[in-house]
Amino acid sequence: MDETTLYRKRKRPAEAFLLSAVYGAASVSVMLLCGMIGYLFFRGAGAVSWRFLTTVTDVAKKTSGIAGNMINTLYIAALTLLAAIPLGVGAAVYLSEYAKPGKLVNLIVFTTETLAGIPSVLFGLFGMGFFGETLGLGYSLLTGALTLALMVLPLIVRNTQEALRAVPEGYRSGALGLGASRFYMIRTVLLPAAMPGILTGVLLSVGRIVGESAALLFTAGSDGHLPKPGGSAFGTIRSLGEKMLESGGTLAVELYLQVQNGRYETAFGIGCVLIAAAFGLNLLVKLAAVRLRNRA
Amino acid sequence: MEKSRISVRNLNLYYGTNHALKDVSLEIRGSAVTALIGPSGCGKSSFLRCINRMNDFVEGVRVEGKVLLDGENLYDRRVDATLLRKKVGMVFQRPNPFPMSIYDNIVYGPRLHGIRARQELDGIVEETLREAALFGEVKDRLKKSALALSGGQQQRLCIARALAVRPEVLLMDEPTSALDPVSTRKVEELIRNLKKKYTVVIVTHNMQQAARVCDDTAFFLAGELVESGPGDVLFSRPKDRRTREYIAGRFG
Amino acid sequence: MKTETKHPHSGSVMADRRKKNAAEGIAQTVFAACAFFVILAVVSITLYLLAKGVPALLQVGPGKILLGTVWKPTAAEPQYGIFHVILTSLAGTALAVLLGVPVGILTAAFLAEIADRRLAAVVKPAVELLAGIPSVLYGLLGLTLLNPLIYRLELTLFRDSPDHRFTGGANLLSAALVLAVMILPTVISVSETAIRSVPPGIRAASLALGGSRVQTVFRAVLPAAKSGIATAIVLGVGRAVGEAAAIALVAGGCVNPPFPFRSVRFLATAIVSEMGYAAGRHRQMLFTIGLVLFSLLMAVNAALTKIRKAGTGEHG
Repeated sequence: MDETTLYRKRKRPAEAFLLSAVYGAASVSVMLLCGMIGYLFFRGAGAVSWRFLTTVTDVAKKTSGIAGNMINTLYIAALTLLAAIPLGVGAAVYLSEYAKPGKLVNLIVFTTETLAGIPSVLFGLFGMGFFGETLGLGYSLLTGALTLALMVLPLIVRNTQEALRAVPEGYRSGALGLGASRFYMIRTVLLPAAMPGILTGVLLSVGRIVGESAALLFTAGSDGHLPKPGGSAFGTIRSLGEKMLESGGTLAVELYLQVQNGRYETAFGIGCVLIAAAFGLNLLVKLAAVRLRNRA
Repeated sequence: MEKSRISVRNLNLYYGTNHALKDVSLEIRGSAVTALIGPSGCGKSSFLRCINRMNDFVEGVRVEGKVLLDGENLYDRRVDATLLRKKVGMVFQRPNPFPMSIYDNIVYGPRLHGIRARQELDGIVEETLREAALFGEVKDRLKKSALALSGGQQQRLCIARALAVRPEVLLMDEPTSALDPVSTRKVEELIRNLKKKYTVVIVTHNMQQAARVCDDTAFFLAGELVESGPGDVLFSRPKDRRTREYIAGRFG
Repeated sequence: MKTETKHPHSGSVMADRRKKNAAEGIAQTVFAACAFFVILAVVSITLYLLAKGVPALLQVGPGKILLGTVWKPTAAEPQYGIFHVILTSLAGTALAVLLGVPVGILTAAFLAEIADRRLAAVVKPAVELLAGIPSVLYGLLGLTLLNPLIYRLELTLFRDSPDHRFTGGANLLSAALVLAVMILPTVISVSETAIRSVPPGIRAASLALGGSRVQTVFRAVLPAAKSGIATAIVLGVGRAVGEAAAIALVAGGCVNPPFPFRSVRFLATAIVSEMGYAAGRHRQMLFTIGLVLFSLLMAVNAALTKIRKAGTGEHG
């Protein structure tokens, strides 16, 4: 056989092996997801009912409900974002619009990365000690939210920074050239243009907050009751205000505790709710990304 | 005229609906340098990439017609395209060394094709670096990163790398366009030497360069082959009005 | 808003500018304060962990804690050896990386280089969703899905060894598998970005030398992306070392030397599972464990910074 002819496909067994490894790995990733989600719904869908979602657990009637945990989750998410968004966006604006490159910026960037690398259980430890004991906030939604605010801060800083970087330089010089002050330019031009990116950071933060358990276990506690009905608008506000300083377990914390107590059915039910939330958030992140791309 | 090494017959190339090469037929001599000239976008680079089927990787590309190398049609279904690319080497517009040592850059190809013996690889490295007139400059730092070399040295390294798989044909896509004049001269000198062993096809937008290095020249315009022939003839007595205008510097 | 919308003839330019400058100054100060807050946060966390963790470390003795193998914090004569806990964190992370990283890198290579658009459109969203699953869910699934499987394996393997203490599947191997899955999304997305940022000339060079697509990926593209892939691995390590909730549910929870089929306790899980009832010295000890965990992660961070620096040097 002529060795130099081009008219013969050479066989490459090593390649077939590598290629199947690549396909195998990709299928493992997909099957893991499908398997886990499928199993979760298979075990948990039965537990999710209207009563499960709208009542609290009643030991006497032997019913379980997660309404209180859902409220707590939303409450903590709102409080966390209230603290983290201004701080995070402010830090990002400072880094990309005011600070001159140098040691200080490097230090801030480095600490942001460090903060991002700290595991949630250490945030929990710090939050419990510092906010809970030193500041005397105890086991409360506020302690939990402040702890989580530190945890999600890097997410918001980074995403905002990236969004600001994507705003064309012409926007800035254009606005400044018209005589606008820097702060005015930031408020009216930069932040609106960066909004989808900031939103991405916020949504990713919500994802972390909703899914977090280790950092909340010893900061926000595990109470699953609903805030006391206020009766009036004022009463409701007061009751919510009081709730802020009371213990409250989020869905993820409740799930963790249910598993520890061996009540898997309820745990799977909560799991279904969490996964639905994760999917919803993922979808929103994608929409935000599309909008960011169309803007930039 | 010697027998042709590569013959291109009625070649048509489409990128999606864009008809990039229109019915091109050309004979390319062995052991000679053929220069493809023409304004940018004329199809000369697309043509070059048909000879080693690098166009295969472009999405939506379609090729009709024949490219024969020693009588074998490169677009025949039976052709092993990787073997073809071993036989027909290529040097790119921008030097693109791998982010590895000089040594590893050269032996990349031979290793792909199953050469493992250390001594043999060492031999290939020295030989091809000498062929590319680079050995003297780098012999003491073969294990150093190729990215530390100057642009001109990187391009000669890329030529050496292409030679290391023992090709028979060498395609060069504007190999000096990213280089300074001194490096350009070195590479041109190298090209003139290479034709002793290899069939060289070079794309250039620089007519002086074409005149300096080539034996034959083919002029492309808007996807068509306008005129081809021995370089001195084409440059001094172009037959086609468009060739005359291009050489006179009217466009492109 | 009102101060900005000014009529062209209202007030003097000077007064207006002064007002504007004051607002500017305040704005800049506020933004700077936000940025400094990040530094403040990290410094406070570090100092707090040191303040809470070091005293117990010194009182009991670093050697007794870090190298001690007996953990009996509630005994009449308490012992606080966390050597096995540290080893477990290291071994568990190593095992998780060993299992998860190859799958992650290969999946990234698939997404960036091999898959056509239709297949990538299936795999990529799946990976993104995987990243969004809360860690405690991994724990639940590990406990109910993986542990029984591992238990079956354990029963077969140790059928004839009377000394083996059966773990019911809650052991180091299960924990490492859960961690391996948990680090997958990080490894995949960071590696994919790294692979995609390899210049196209590298691929073209390899293909033009007669390399097949697969050879090109494995011999040219992946090596060219190595600093980005190293970053991916280190980020995965960081995630695995710090994870608590998920593996607290699947690792068994006893303090044992790290063998695949032993019930084990990690640094992070030790904190989570004992904080509820720990008091006094025992509680301080958990802060000491937190400090050890913190030091490990600082080491991971340092590695990350080093890789990034080396990476920019290489391409610059």
